[in-house]
Amino acid sequence: MLPNWLIESETYAPPKDGGAFVVKTMKTIGMVLARLKVQRGHEKRHAIPAVIKFFLLVALVLLTSVTQNRLILLAMLALVQAYLAFWPAKDLASILKPALFASLLSVLIFAPAMIMHPQGIYNNLIVIAKVFVSVEMVNIFNHTTQWNHITTALRKLHIPSIFIFTLDITLKYIVLLGTVINDLLTSLHLRSVGKNHRKYQSVGGVMGVTFLRSVEMSQQMYEAMCCRGFTDDYKGL
Amino acid sequence: MHIPENYLAPATCGVMGAAMVPVWVHAVKKVGKELPKEKMPLLGVGAAFSFLAMMFNVPLVGGTTGHAVGGTLIALLFGPNAACIAVSIALLIQAVLFGDGGILAFGANCFNMAFILPFAGYYTYRLIVKLASKNQPAKSGIHYVAAAIGSYVGINLAAFFTAVEFGLQPLLFHDASGNALYCPYDLSVAIPSMMIPHLVVAGVVELVFTVVVYAFIRKVAPDMIYENILAQTEQEPKKHIPVFALIAVLIAATPLGLLATGTAWGEWGADEIAAVENAGKVLGYTPSGLANGWELNVLMPDYAVSGMNEIPAYILSAILGVALLVIIFKLISLPMKGRR
Repeated sequence: MLPNWLIESETYAPPKDGGAFVVKTMKTIGMVLARLKVQRGHEKRHAIPAVIKFFLLVALVLLTSVTQNRLILLAMLALVQAYLAFWPAKDLASILKPALFASLLSVLIFAPAMIMHPQGIYNNLIVIAKVFVSVEMVNIFNHTTQWNHITTALRKLHIPSIFIFTLDITLKYIVLLGTVINDLLTSLHLRSVGKNHRKYQSVGGVMGVTFLRSVEMSQQMYEAMCCRGFTDDYKGL
Repeated sequence: MHIPENYLAPATCGVMGAAMVPVWVHAVKKVGKELPKEKMPLLGVGAAFSFLAMMFNVPLVGGTTGHAVGGTLIALLFGPNAACIAVSIALLIQAVLFGDGGILAFGANCFNMAFILPFAGYYTYRLIVKLASKNQPAKSGIHYVAAAIGSYVGINLAAFFTAVEFGLQPLLFHDASGNALYCPYDLSVAIPSMMIPHLVVAGVVELVFTVVVYAFIRKVAPDMIYENILAQTEQEPKKHIPVFALIAVLIAATPLGLLATGTAWGEWGADEIAAVENAGKVLGYTPSGLANGWELNVLMPDYAVSGMNEIPAYILSAILGVALLVIIFKLISLPMKGRR
């Protein structure tokens, strides 16, 4: 015999939760960070070594920005677009979106000048085109090169190892901590049904736990390094 | 055939633009249904053919120049609705980046080259194939004949509409002294000036371009042909290397378009028009709409960089245009759903 309260049909609808943006925003951050881990670039196995690519990138960006020759600018525009035309569609968006956004920003910056001094519009257009193609090239480099290859390239350029070490560890821990945040927020999300009045306290909790985890991790890493013979000296890196 | 800025009254531009809106909406809907997602990047290749065709200027009788459009070709490859979209986007790139055809006149240019041309060309082709295959199965040769006639009809009808749009301007818009505000030539001048060169030369160029490329693609990439897409015949996905090779060859050959030095009829600059001769009379004045008109600043006016060697600039412009078209159509294909 079932008790009465069990037979009654429930009509509980959780009240709408306002201010979900806090959790949402933090979740997005966590996702973006975790995405670094599974880099979606399509670096090929026999790609150009990252060092050469890096040199090429710096040279081409410099060339694009200092050139007075419009033919060179046209050539850069044409060749980069031609290269991109062979890319699969899904990778194109991640290159073109930032490039278009940067160009739009420069259009906004130039807008007053364009309106007040229409004779200069042609020169403004050239600067905008330069911004577009430079951002595209940086994005192409970023998209086709893995993070660890970028740090390797920097090392080969004889950048002090402490910088590379910091950069490398930072990138790695951004990923690890991003995953931690993501997990914490997921568990928070699962536990709070309906209106959660103590959300802002939970946000503090998430940040606090992440900080504690990071301290713990750095301590663990230092100990692991000591166990492997690290003598507070980065020369051998 | 690109109507430049300020040759048409803003009212005319508005009407033509409004007329194109339902056409574009219909075309987008149809293409979403008819063309599978995988074909969209290839439509970009089709648009690239059209873009390149328009860069090959040929000298026409009477000292002007003209070019093929290739709209019928795209209609044969991807259907008339897809051709409408492809040519529209090619025209947009030409207007925004290279200043070929006006921004305000974009609607009118699309009406002539992206709507009239591919639809007229395609349905002429269909009609001929249908008539020829009434009693017996069509021979393969009939497709080429039909494509030839279709493309010839298409471009000439488009030229006719362009001429009518030009020719109506002085009748509708003129100042108190009878001087035209925009295009100064009326129907009696515009129609023969546009039609004779197009019937004699540009139509033939379009015909040859269409048939040659169509035959090539029928042979090397039959899965790109509209009728086969519609029939949904299962075909092995092919690499279209010969097609891309053809595009590369066309790009390399674009400087040939520079050999024709004249200005196309109805595309003179505001500084040129007063001196244009017609039946022995120079015009003698600059229409006020042209003299005080608004014009968009573009990065590479007329596919060239001022003060530079024209040939590399022309080739680079061709590469840029083709690459942008392929990229745009790849991006369009992203949100589309796959057929299965």
